[in-house]
Amino acid sequence: MEEKREVGRITFSLIDAFRLGYDNVKRRFNRAALSMAAITLGIAFFSTLSLMDTFFRIYTQAEGGGLRMESYQYWLLLVSLVVCVVSITNSMLIAVYERYREIGTMKCLGALDQHVLKLFLVESIILALLGGSLGYGIGLVASIISVTFTLGFNIVLKTPPTSLLALLGETILLSVALSTVATMYPAYRAAKLDPVEALRYEV
Amino acid sequence: MRSEYIIETEDLARYYEVGGEVIKALDGVNLRVHRGEYLSIVGPSGAGKTTLFNMIGGLDRPTRGRVIIDGVDISQLDAYELAWLRCRKIGYIFQTFNLIDTLTALENVALPTIFAGVPRDEGERKAKRLLEAVGLGDRLNHKPRELSAGQQQRVAIARAMANDPAIILADEPTGNLDLHTGMEIINLLRDLNEKRGVTLISATHDLKMIGASDRVVYMRDGKIEKIEKGGQYPSIDFP
Ligand SMILES: Nc1ncnc2c1ncn2[C@@H]1O[C@H](COP(=O)(O)OP(=O)(O)OP(=O)(O)O)[C@@H](O)[C@H]1O
Ligand SMILES: [Mg+2]
Repeated sequence: MEEKREVGRITFSLIDAFRLGYDNVKRRFNRAALSMAAITLGIAFFSTLSLMDTFFRIYTQAEGGGLRMESYQYWLLLVSLVVCVVSITNSMLIAVYERYREIGTMKCLGALDQHVLKLFLVESIILALLGGSLGYGIGLVASIISVTFTLGFNIVLKTPPTSLLALLGETILLSVALSTVATMYPAYRAAKLDPVEALRYEV
Repeated sequence: MRSEYIIETEDLARYYEVGGEVIKALDGVNLRVHRGEYLSIVGPSGAGKTTLFNMIGGLDRPTRGRVIIDGVDISQLDAYELAWLRCRKIGYIFQTFNLIDTLTALENVALPTIFAGVPRDEGERKAKRLLEAVGLGDRLNHKPRELSAGQQQRVAIARAMANDPAIILADEPTGNLDLHTGMEIINLLRDLNEKRGVTLISATHDLKMIGASDRVVYMRDGKIEKIEKGGQYPSIDFP
């Protein structure tokens, strides 16, 4: 039986993934908000410290004197980022569990493992962008308030906006990196889900 | 050359091992389905109906035997090809509808067209046409939770048709519906089968569905017990 296999392409473009992922984040906002809160808090802490550090450096250049961040604060930061990653992983695992049937259905409709993986990773990137920006905003406000009380608002005015922007860029990158690392395992679990099992599973 | 049968199974078996005990969910099923046929599969709970569907739909691999779809032995297909089969050749309808809660009716129906690589606006136009065809032209932007059970099943039928499949596998499509709504769904499925020539295989306990079909396959303990001509029960028309 030498029949030519009539087989075409199965696709799931990044644009489609973003559209579907964005819908998911929007419409399942409660679940998304939990993951986002973890990112926001971790990033807020990170950006507060980084911004304070920037302000201190500007102050040191202008006025002399050796104001620096204490090293224990970096340890605290590291711990907080680890906690952030663990909570995102946890929250994403619950999201995968809640969406068993949906994943099974998508696979029935032709989704490949890699498509499911893509969808979850894209969702985590969307959350990272939102949570990262929000976290940076919080960090900016917190550090400005704190610096105003200790060194005076002048320092903020002396800080070049470009360095604040560069820090925003770094922060968003870090946020995306953390969120992606945290989502890797849950997304892998989702991708490997057996559709037969997923559809037998009663919610 | 197109084979005469759209689906053939040869000595198809699927065993499960649970706690050292072997459960024969399917045990040597030989079935041939003609193109455009409407087949009902009946049998008590645990007879293996869903397992058979999973095999035909390429969702699960057999322990023994073969499934041949359109002349192609699907055990030879890789993951891509199987996904393509599920996406383009086969439409699924479930007892519990399995619509995606966060998506509107239109988006649910358009979803399979995304995987098929159809451009978005074209997919949505198609979805709209299908929803109109199943009588939900005024419910395009409703979420599944805002629809009645019968309406949800209509959406699921439209979704199953999204990529013009050759085969529709319907696993107890009227199982969660009342008599009247179930009858509407049956008429809709029979319509698809007759007007579009889709091969329809439906697992059911519903006498009305059996009456509407061309042949009835009786299953028990993973085996085919007998095959009869359908249409033996008069289909009940609601007023
Ligand atoms: N994953 C599994 N592990 C172990 N046994 C299984 C599994 N899936 C199915 N079975 C067994 O296989 C047999 C056939 O199951 P199947 O779901 O195909 O029956 P069915 O005819 O669809 O029944 P129903 O009418 O209740 O839907 C049953 O005895 C079931 O317990
Ligand atoms: Mg079943």
